[in-house]
Amino acid sequence: MKVPIKTKVNGKLYEQEVEARSTLLDILRDELKIKSVHRGCEDGECGACTVLLNGKPVCSCLVLAAQVDGAEITTVEGLLKGDELHPLMLAFIENHAVQCGYCTPGVIMTAYYLLNNLADFTDEDLRRGIEGNLCRCTGYIHIIKAIKAAKKCKDSGNWW
Amino acid sequence: MRNFVGLRAIPEMEYHRPIALEQALKLLSELKEGCKIIAGGTDLVPAARRGRMSSSGHIHIIDISSIKDLDYIIKEDDMIRIGAVTKLSEVGASTVVKEHVPILAEAASQTGSLQVRNLGTIGGNLCNASPAADTAPPLLALDARVNIRGIDKQRLVPLKEFFTGPGETILAPGEILAEVQIPITEPTAGSCFIKLGRRNAFTLSIVSVATLVKVKDGIFDDVRIALGAVAPTPIRASKAEKYLTGKKVSEQVIDDGAKVVTSEVKPISDVRASARYRKDMSYIVTKRALTMCFNGSQVTSFAGKG
Amino acid sequence: MEERERRLVSGKGFYVDDIELPNMAHCIFVGSPYAHARIKSVDVSRALRLNGVLAIITGKEVAKLMDPLPATSNYEAIGWHWRTPKVYPLAVDKVRFQGEPVAAIIAEHPYIALDAADLIDIEYELLPPVSDVNEAMQPGSPLVYEEWEDNMQVHLEFNFGDIDAAFKEADRILRVSWHEGRVSGFPIEARGCVASYDRITGMLNMWSSTQAPFLGRQYISSALRLPTNKVRIVVADVGGAFGNKLNWWKDTVVGLGSIVTGRPVKWVESKRELFLTGSHNRDVTWEGEVAVKNDGSILGVKAKFVKDLGVEGTNRGSAAMGIIPACCSVPNAYRLFKGLKIEACGVVTNKSPYCAYRGYGKDKGIKFMERIMQIVSRELNIEPEQIRLGNFIQPHQFPYKQISGYVYDSGDYPAVLKKALKLGKVDLWREKQRQARKQGKYIGVGVAFMVEPAGVAAPHCIYGGLTQARVRITSDGLVEVENDQTEIGQGSTITRTKVVANILGAKIDDIEVKRDSSDMPGSGVYSSRGAVYPTGALIRAARELRVRMIKFAGHFLNEEPAHIDITDGVFHSTKDPTKRMSLKELADCAYFRPGPRGLPHDMQVKHEILLDVSASWFSPNTAQNPTSTYATYCSGADIAVVEVDVETGAVSILKYAHVHDAGTLLDKDVVEGQIFGGIVQGIGEALSEELVYTRSGELLNNSYTDYVMPTAQDSPDIVMGHIETPSPFTELGQKGIGEAPVITSKAAIINAIEDALSPFNIRVPESPATRERIRRWILESQEG
Ligand SMILES: Cc1cc2nc3c(=O)[nH]c(=O)nc-3n(C[C@H](O)[C@H](O)[C@H](O)COP(=O)(O)OP(=O)(O)OC[C@H]3O[C@@H](n4cnc5c(N)ncnc54)[C@H](O)[C@@H]3O)c2cc1C
Ligand code: FES
Ligand code: FES
Repeated sequence: MKVPIKTKVNGKLYEQEVEARSTLLDILRDELKIKSVHRGCEDGECGACTVLLNGKPVCSCLVLAAQVDGAEITTVEGLLKGDELHPLMLAFIENHAVQCGYCTPGVIMTAYYLLNNLADFTDEDLRRGIEGNLCRCTGYIHIIKAIKAAKKCKDSGNWW
Repeated sequence: MRNFVGLRAIPEMEYHRPIALEQALKLLSELKEGCKIIAGGTDLVPAARRGRMSSSGHIHIIDISSIKDLDYIIKEDDMIRIGAVTKLSEVGASTVVKEHVPILAEAASQTGSLQVRNLGTIGGNLCNASPAADTAPPLLALDARVNIRGIDKQRLVPLKEFFTGPGETILAPGEILAEVQIPITEPTAGSCFIKLGRRNAFTLSIVSVATLVKVKDGIFDDVRIALGAVAPTPIRASKAEKYLTGKKVSEQVIDDGAKVVTSEVKPISDVRASARYRKDMSYIVTKRALTMCFNGSQVTSFAGKG
Repeated sequence: MEERERRLVSGKGFYVDDIELPNMAHCIFVGSPYAHARIKSVDVSRALRLNGVLAIITGKEVAKLMDPLPATSNYEAIGWHWRTPKVYPLAVDKVRFQGEPVAAIIAEHPYIALDAADLIDIEYELLPPVSDVNEAMQPGSPLVYEEWEDNMQVHLEFNFGDIDAAFKEADRILRVSWHEGRVSGFPIEARGCVASYDRITGMLNMWSSTQAPFLGRQYISSALRLPTNKVRIVVADVGGAFGNKLNWWKDTVVGLGSIVTGRPVKWVESKRELFLTGSHNRDVTWEGEVAVKNDGSILGVKAKFVKDLGVEGTNRGSAAMGIIPACCSVPNAYRLFKGLKIEACGVVTNKSPYCAYRGYGKDKGIKFMERIMQIVSRELNIEPEQIRLGNFIQPHQFPYKQISGYVYDSGDYPAVLKKALKLGKVDLWREKQRQARKQGKYIGVGVAFMVEPAGVAAPHCIYGGLTQARVRITSDGLVEVENDQTEIGQGSTITRTKVVANILGAKIDDIEVKRDSSDMPGSGVYSSRGAVYPTGALIRAARELRVRMIKFAGHFLNEEPAHIDITDGVFHSTKDPTKRMSLKELADCAYFRPGPRGLPHDMQVKHEILLDVSASWFSPNTAQNPTSTYATYCSGADIAVVEVDVETGAVSILKYAHVHDAGTLLDKDVVEGQIFGGIVQGIGEALSEELVYTRSGELLNNSYTDYVMPTAQDSPDIVMGHIETPSPFTELGQKGIGEAPVITSKAAIINAIEDALSPFNIRVPESPATRERIRRWILESQEG
């Protein structure tokens, strides 16, 4: 069965007919060609598919596409300003938080949410915040470092 | 046995998105067979992809997640009412919940991960009826009730009577769990939720416990102990509660009371833990939770961290 | 420089799953739910009728259209007990592990293929499974391969030095047994490939998430009976590998799928499939005795080593061979060995195939030794660091020929360990430990040390030490770099860029590392060889190119080459600053204006007219010392401080310090990233990761929920230190280190737990030391 949905993805309006059995992950990747949203486990366990759904990080593999009618969705592509990388992305690069990169877009979306929603945080808060994003390459250390560096960018107004 | 494939496709289905409770109930009563409710989908979607959603016959999926009249946290004089589709993240962050029933806030905040809590609902956590459902022990300890709605009827049931087995509840076809009602109890000593899993975070409970203690003149006046993942359903440890009530508070009494719990749990062995460890841990975490109730702090979380 | 990273953070990755080709179909594998059964019939007719299903391949087809999977190592010819099974990527007559693929479905959409999976009717006759390695070794056990008379795939004996002398001289003989649970890397991106067969040219093009495209091409072409020059593999972005992407048995079927359908075919493995059919590792048991003097000198080790290879470790995977480094690594960093004798058994069972995971084999020997060190330390009541310091090979002894034949290149083991003790504040923590015990808290300090052999070159296998690099200047003055140092997320793109920029004096941003492919001969990345072999070749190629560039520039600037230097892509005379030309100008001169006709005469005569150099590299260490299968031997020390909650068995890591000596560091940040990741993987192995099989061969945990890997909340802060003793055998003194951290971290954590539990007199018998197991050990010790 096809279900008509309207969404706003990375600021752009879409009207689509989606298969009732497809997930948000499926339509982002396969139909909207937003490839930053990665298929990790498709079980909610790894966070590689994390997107912001109405501003909050969720596993897009757990959401039926039909359920997001009327929703706003943001992926890392939505953080770009034209060709310009978001300061958070630059912080990830500068702090060597990107190794294989498969977990990275998901981690960035979670981190983006945390940075925008936590006025202040400890390392422990960050570790807690990204508990749903598994990374097998970095041991998380450079990721934590990158998020803390991004916080400095944000505090100095270098943010959007 | 079925052929092995890593993940299955979600079966073909028909999708419905009622925007009001009445509408959802009507759909359920009209479509009858093959109806499946979805809220956050965090239990249902993985189950479907593991082939646990039968594809024989026509499946109607009723999405209740956008029903506004099921999404609220309201405080009344002596009760907190939470709509069934309220997200676990909202429950965990709610100032009302944190202030009056902190063990529920703590349990909700320790369920899954941030991404899962932003989808998963309190109703889904209960209706999925996993023995390890993390919001169940605090709600049981708080003597919560659930408001169950059918097309022309409703019933208010103590949560204790809601679960009937692993994945099984008293919900009849066509019924929706609409609301969780939590009487506000002032624990004169304290309350505590502890979850023990296999790692420090984002882990399913091997055992979880919620305790709530009232004392009068150094005597246990009202003791509530509820546990998850150690029986076919989340349970209240009524024998232990009874043992403790009326006794003078002491380390020894707490220890003895916690030991009684082991006679009430009926754990299974699975890949997550053996029955023996679960039983042993029921005692340990109960003892700790009861002790914590006296340590000034209202609530302490513990996922195994030292 | 960070072009790859810029792509990856912004959603412009090129992982296999991102590839879409016109007319592309999708492949899924359908596997057996049983661990051991004869296939009586496979009926695909219902599935074929489903709209959108294009083809179904079963064992019958592969047996007809393909050759059996080639062996990745075979020592039968040299007289070893080494069996290689005749197997196909799809089961032909019998299934031997749960999930073993029986059919592959090619369909228009992955969901259609999945729908069809339930429509394939397979009739099995169940056979008794054997999933326990000890049972598999018993006479009368069910046979995994009926054509063999037992389940012993590999059976070897290692006997170095004089074991009898060692035991005769010993003051004490201690028994040590140690088991490591079955684990693997399980990268967040599972395996996958896209195959596209061109019927006109007969060319099979593949994009793959692999560590070794050149080896993959060899393997796939052999199985598919294609000439190697008709298979080309381009490496997509790889979402983590850790040894798990050093096998191509399923890729062969995807290739076949493209050949039979004439369409491009994509296969992206689900995580559950990776858990169940992906390659597993570890799962070893050591039973041994160690000969020691009362002063802590370790004189010898006698042991039996049993490795559960699952269904096999030579054809679908390649880590049966890991037995050899496992046994040869046992003496680790210690010099007083007089004898080492090990009986090694590689046993097949009805479990998933065995292939590489970070550590490969050497990890097993080193961890066994580090467990021995811990036990000796406790039995003799000597601090663990003192035992090690007393046994260490000394800095003046290099190159040092270890009793097992490895020739250690260089190092300063006492300095590495002492630095780690300092960073880990061991004295302070021991004091805290004493205080804590009084309050009923159990803190433990764990020490582990390792010498990691890196960069293998072994005969009769795919790991022969092949490598090649090519560096060239394009006609517009840019630099193109290629070698077999496949980028798998370890940062080889950045490292290669920096190495070449430094040698050539070119601008970092002018350097382009080409996408890895099977065009470049070389065995890829594993065995921590990236920094050794491919980098060696790269350095040699770049150096020769530099000589040629300088010579050309001297010619065009009318200056002696000896007086030409290049910085930031500009040549200049050190004598006359007005003589300058950019790399771009030089390239233009060399290629077109005037072009080869204007080059120095002797270069024309020698046919060296291109700014394009290829080179290879072979370990001088291995060349000079045939028993030294590895090129370099880095060292490292880890200190872990843990607190064990004795009531629940939960372990908290209070402090973690790591120091290593990777010779000359090519890129500190890249190395640190590798090490942090490896340490946390080792922590996972130590505390919670384990694949659990039932006796009937059913895997109970094929998901990230139940295969418990560390989250950000499980990984500690890590302090890190470096020491650099250059290797005399490599071009820049660099040493391989990629696998090292996963080894020591596991040993350090286990040793720390044992130290914490010393009041209970517990010897940790196995890993992972899960909460439940720790609690059980404590209860058992209290019961007596
Ligand atoms: C990776 C991961 C980790 C998790 N970790 C935890 C954990 O640590 N602890 C824990 O307790 N749970 C955990 N869960 C399970 C799950 O997230 C929770 O149980 C969640 O609260 C379910 O809510 P939902 O809205 O997503 O339910 P859904 O999946 O939408 O529904 C679950 C079931 O309940 C039924 N249902 C839902 N709402 C109603 C209603 N109002 N009336 C009648 N029937 C209804 C549905 O038909 C379905 O059968 C985890 C899940 C995932 C994927
Ligand atoms: S892919 Fe969605 S959580 Fe792993
Ligand atoms: S960078 Fe590879 S999984 Fe995180």
